[in-house]
Amino acid sequence: MTGWLILFAVALVLTLAGALWRVWRGPRRADRMMAAQLVGTGGVGVLMLLAPAHGAAVLDVALVLALLAALAAVGFVKASTPDGAGDPEEDAPPAGARGDDR
Amino acid sequence: MPEPPALPFDPALALDAALAVAILGAALAAVSGRGVFRAVVFFIAYGLMVSIGWVRLGSVDVALAEAAIGAGLTGVLLLAAHGRLARAGAATDTPAGAGRGWAALAGLAVSGALVWAWFALPPVPARPGAELAEALPRAGVENPVTAVLLNFRGWDTLLESIILLAALVAVWMLTRDGDWRAPLGVPQHANAEGVMAGFARVLPPVGLMIGGYLLWAGADAPGGAFQGGTVWAAVLLVAALAGLWAPPRLEAAWFRAALVLGGAVFVLAGLALAGVGAGFLTLPEGAAKPVILGIELALAVSIAVTLVALVLGPPEGPPDAPPDAPPGALPDAPPGAPPDAPGAPR
Repeated sequence: MTGWLILFAVALVLTLAGALWRVWRGPRRADRMMAAQLVGTGGVGVLMLLAPAHGAAVLDVALVLALLAALAAVGFVKASTPDGAGDPEEDAPPAGARGDDR
Repeated sequence: MPEPPALPFDPALALDAALAVAILGAALAAVSGRGVFRAVVFFIAYGLMVSIGWVRLGSVDVALAEAAIGAGLTGVLLLAAHGRLARAGAATDTPAGAGRGWAALAGLAVSGALVWAWFALPPVPARPGAELAEALPRAGVENPVTAVLLNFRGWDTLLESIILLAALVAVWMLTRDGDWRAPLGVPQHANAEGVMAGFARVLPPVGLMIGGYLLWAGADAPGGAFQGGTVWAAVLLVAALAGLWAPPRLEAAWFRAALVLGGAVFVLAGLALAGVGAGFLTLPEGAAKPVILGIELALAVSIAVTLVALVLGPPEGPPDAPPDAPPGALPDAPPGAPPDAPGAPR
């Protein structure tokens, strides 16, 4: 049974490679960031598939990743506000969300 | 449910090969590609995948620490640094020419030294050695990593617990004279009804509980003070970024007490054990578990507060630009820096 689970984990790692390709290609910053978020989600899936083979503690790693992987997105939206300390949803939205390359 | 037929081959090798290619590819893309933002995102993805790699190597404790630090803190830190460089008008693209060559050379030298060390070291036993297996039942905890860190080699961990504080003091040296009494970091603000503030209200209760769980579980399973404290730090950081929790000032007594709590409890426990005749940090067999958990709880509080302070950075008041200065007039530039030198700083 764990053999099949590991086989599915291989398939998930291949989808992570697709996400990495998107991080490389972009072209917009949000594309790269969302691809990194996909790596986080896929990583949670890989870890859950590995848990029967490596022990239940691996589920704790998946739990921490699921809890904290979204923090990079918070850091991203913070950093893209005009003073780097704001929130795109505030009353005065930033003039033109950053869509430039790199 | 009937058991599915066994696979005719072992897919573990394919998994390890795919992981190794993905990790190496992300690492190479992070250091060799053009564009700092892309490098930062690759570094975040790299950290996520390395934690899977640590699981495959059987080091779940390290995987937990990597997941908490890599996913929770370094991403926020690097993205904030990148945004700040861009706003300060500093060159955010990777430097070309000789600087890159030297950096590559230094990186190759470190890698070569590590490879040499790997082959020069005696082979690592797959299981804990005989001494550890013999001593573990008397350690008070069942997780061998925690037993080594807090019991057998407590002296090392005591010194390591001070390293983060030293790093924090180094960061605070960057504080400008006028900002010493300001709260840590730049003043954060957000729409109180928005997605970010909502996320920052939901996450901390869950994260505080999971951090405490990791701390408690670390006695007998992977986890412990560093992993738990890092999760606490990450959720506190979200609350601070969303403007829901005001970071303390440097002079706040509770803040300073929390910073040194871990080291202080560690030293006092060691002295108390020496006082009752057991020897400095020599844990008596019967009372080892409560002593270890007490030290770990104090360490986790200090680690959490120290990591939050490290990510928030030195205190910076609101930008004290003249009232009629144009918006975006480089409030972040250090005093004395030429305002608009194109591409000057390296």
